[in-house]
Amino acid sequence: MSGARLPRLGLLLGWLLLLALGGTWLGRGLNVEEDLRRFLPDPRTPAQVLLVDELGEGPGSRLLLLALDGAPPARLAEASLALRAALETAPEIELASNGEDRGLDAVPEHLLPYRYLLSPALRAQALDRHYLAQALEQRLQDLGSPVADLVEPLLPSDPTLETLALAEAWQPPQAPNRQYGVWFDRAGRQALLMVQTRAAGFDSAGQQAAVAAIQAAFARVREGLGEGPAPRLELSGPGAFGVAIRDRTEREMRWIGTADTVGLLLLLALAYRRWSMPLLGALPLASGGLAGLGAVALLFPGVHGITLAFGFTLIGVAQDYPIHFFSHLRPGQSPRASVRALWPTLVTGVASTCIAYATFLFSGVEGLRQLAVFTIVGLAVAAASTRWLLPRLVTPARRDPARSAPLARLWRWIERLPRPRAALGVLALLALAAVALAPGGFWQNDLSRLTPVPPAELERDARLRAELGAPDVRYMLMLQDVDAEAVLQASERLLPVLEQARADGLVEGYDLAARYLPSQASQRQRQARLPAPEVLRAELDAALAGQPFQDDAFGPFLADVEAARSGAPLQPSDLAGTPLQLAVGGLLLEGQGQATALVSLSGVGDVQALAARTGAHGAQLLDLKQASESLVAQWRLRLLAALGAAAVLLAAAVWWALRTPARVLRVLAPMGLSTLLILAVLRLCGVELNLFHLVSLILAAGLGLDYALFFDHAGDDRDDQLRTLHAVIVCSLTTLLVFSLLALSSIPVLRAIGSTVALGVLFNFVLALLVARRPARAEAA
Amino acid sequence: MAHRPIPSRRPEALLALLLALVATAAPLAAAELDPEPILRGLARPAPSRTPFVELRGSAMLKQPLRVQGEYRREADGRLVRQGTSPYAETTTLGSGEAVIERAGRAPRRIALAQVPELAAVRAGFGALLAGDRELLLRTYDVHASGQRERWTLRLVPRDPRLAAGLRQIELHGRGSELRCVESQPARGELQRTLMAGAAAQAAGVEDPAALAALCRDPAA
Repeated sequence: MSGARLPRLGLLLGWLLLLALGGTWLGRGLNVEEDLRRFLPDPRTPAQVLLVDELGEGPGSRLLLLALDGAPPARLAEASLALRAALETAPEIELASNGEDRGLDAVPEHLLPYRYLLSPALRAQALDRHYLAQALEQRLQDLGSPVADLVEPLLPSDPTLETLALAEAWQPPQAPNRQYGVWFDRAGRQALLMVQTRAAGFDSAGQQAAVAAIQAAFARVREGLGEGPAPRLELSGPGAFGVAIRDRTEREMRWIGTADTVGLLLLLALAYRRWSMPLLGALPLASGGLAGLGAVALLFPGVHGITLAFGFTLIGVAQDYPIHFFSHLRPGQSPRASVRALWPTLVTGVASTCIAYATFLFSGVEGLRQLAVFTIVGLAVAAASTRWLLPRLVTPARRDPARSAPLARLWRWIERLPRPRAALGVLALLALAAVALAPGGFWQNDLSRLTPVPPAELERDARLRAELGAPDVRYMLMLQDVDAEAVLQASERLLPVLEQARADGLVEGYDLAARYLPSQASQRQRQARLPAPEVLRAELDAALAGQPFQDDAFGPFLADVEAARSGAPLQPSDLAGTPLQLAVGGLLLEGQGQATALVSLSGVGDVQALAARTGAHGAQLLDLKQASESLVAQWRLRLLAALGAAAVLLAAAVWWALRTPARVLRVLAPMGLSTLLILAVLRLCGVELNLFHLVSLILAAGLGLDYALFFDHAGDDRDDQLRTLHAVIVCSLTTLLVFSLLALSSIPVLRAIGSTVALGVLFNFVLALLVARRPARAEAA
Repeated sequence: MAHRPIPSRRPEALLALLLALVATAAPLAAAELDPEPILRGLARPAPSRTPFVELRGSAMLKQPLRVQGEYRREADGRLVRQGTSPYAETTTLGSGEAVIERAGRAPRRIALAQVPELAAVRAGFGALLAGDRELLLRTYDVHASGQRERWTLRLVPRDPRLAAGLRQIELHGRGSELRCVESQPARGELQRTLMAGAAAQAAGVEDPAALAALCRDPAA
């Protein structure tokens, strides 16, 4: 005995060391991607392309909405000003706005002369003596008014105040109410800000950093406010939701994981009465998981977060491998002999499951290919380590489950149960009818339903969005042509149509690049209307006659107009590095030989009418929700096709292993019927199925296959049946424990996985017992 | 290019002063020797009105612009500056914004947060009229000089950000009558507003030196 202990300890330590090394290597080198694009099929329609773009880097997905409340408006306004100033310097934040009128700062200095090409005010108005005289009269009154300090520095270069007209025109199209100079909600209780993060919407680490930066800045602002009621900060928007979801998922996973670990340890200790079993039982799954991850890391540039989640769900079946082995240990038989007897059955289960997953390799979706590699390698390594490593670590058993009195009583009770045949057929038909006829949609394609954002927060987001006039996240208009100039011209033709649509109440607001940057053609037209220097000088002199202004007060104005008149029209590339780049960049996308102008909409009323009217001018309505749903449906279609092939391959593999049709039927029927029953229960409960249900159904089927295979393997031998019963009871209890806890989660994704698998374990256990198990021979004493 | 940063904003100061417009007169505790009786004497129950003559100088103008009209403090606490000559213009200061109305034009609304000097200068004496000494002393260091019947109050902004745009305000008066406000921006020319009796005396006076004398020397 003591001679065997030393190599055993060495092997155990070696194995643990290997796992630790592998874990460290992966922890350092593994590149986990959060970009949803990697997991979706290739986009096909323009809407899908745009959606995938938007998901990744679009300005909509980078928008965070901030609301300050809980203090008097004046104090909130002060906090809003301080917060915007603080955020301006934060490296995580690209742009923060709160409606603060920043006067000259709104127009970048080197673009200032261009105001005469950009401002809509001069579209029809010439810079003649009448117009100038009128302007000078107003400016004189401005100088005598309380806003003199604000206006005076502008006057020498800008007597018509074109800068202010431009800043006003560039305000958000649906600018919110203002109090104390900053945005407030209509009720006047919340100060509002909009923040654009530098990180993409689905870069959850980047979003987390941005949210943390905002919260830190807010904490400093609140401290700096001095005595009085402290304002509260509310954050909303895709990024904020993502961070909140991540935090919540992590929190829930922490308690679920703790409860699972404790429960599993207790269960295994109770089942085997040996302290070493829980530890040893965890080794194959841990090895499988690490090996699967390693394989994906070697074969693919990065592992997607969803691959990890799905993958670890699917290889959960490997937790059963050591349990089957442990339950078949008995005194008088070496562990190695036990595992050898079990191996053909185990390998049948593993091999047929792996063959089934191999179909994912040909699905054409990168995420599914990763999943296939992960599960196949993971399951194979878990099975192999159960077969070749575990028996060397386990000491021979002192107890045989077949000798357990309670188990024997249970078994006798089960023996007396009727063996349904026809009843199962009826049950299958009923389940099929329920699946087909239950009311409600079959599939849930709406990705947002999977995010556990509480309805109250979604409502708040919608309200803030409406208050801020933030763009609709679902509908957009799109114009496409060969280059930026062409789409800008098309946008300008679309403008009156949009304005009419707004007047008619089809839409509350819209925004497009042409609002900031007119086409070159329009800019040239305006240049042509600007007077030559000597003409302007004469007109200005005439206008100045009789006014109290100094004769040479407006020299800089003459210079600016001449700069605008003689310069090259502004191009999109000239805006680089200015705040305008953000506004225009998000709405004007330039690609190879093609440019796209987007029209963001807010407060969309009648979509169809809007699409019809703008369609006549070459604009195409994009429904991003429909596009995302079509992408999900496409994904599911590929998955279902792969699953169909997988089912056939699995049946073939089982057939090849078992050879007799009756056995094949006994093994496959429980699995098939369970799947049908799970679907029926879910449908009757009004659940709409999503991808996570599908993946869970695959796991449930894998578990069921193993249960049935082991009952079949036990044959008609009473002792073997008792040991198998022990194993399957422990397996199903552990799985049930893990997944019922998941089913209790508040997060829809976890709940979907948990409820589906928990139901699957129940059905598969009962059906395997009733169908796959053979009637035993007379009780051996 | 005449581009310079908009003067720094100091919302606290102007808010304090605005609040003072609405605040009821607080009982004054004895503190500094001189300013107290003057401040007490200046407080007026709303509504109240007083004529003004304002002289606005600028490097761009050949001579200062002269605007005449009256200041009114309404019962609801708003301060109205109504210009009648040389053109009609009404500015209403209330709940955080100034509304400027001119004949034949849409009203212009400007947040006071953007032009703290606007509130600090124009509503400075409004705070005096409301008699909210506490808010006034929080925003300015107040120094008094002269005699009871010919006094000068010097208000120096406490906040460095406000001080960056406004060096000081001098108020000249007689007894309980505020007669002139002189505000000295950090850059640019001194701006002078004659009020009450001084405004009446300024009628027909064109000479800048004479107007300055009217402002500074009420006895003259």
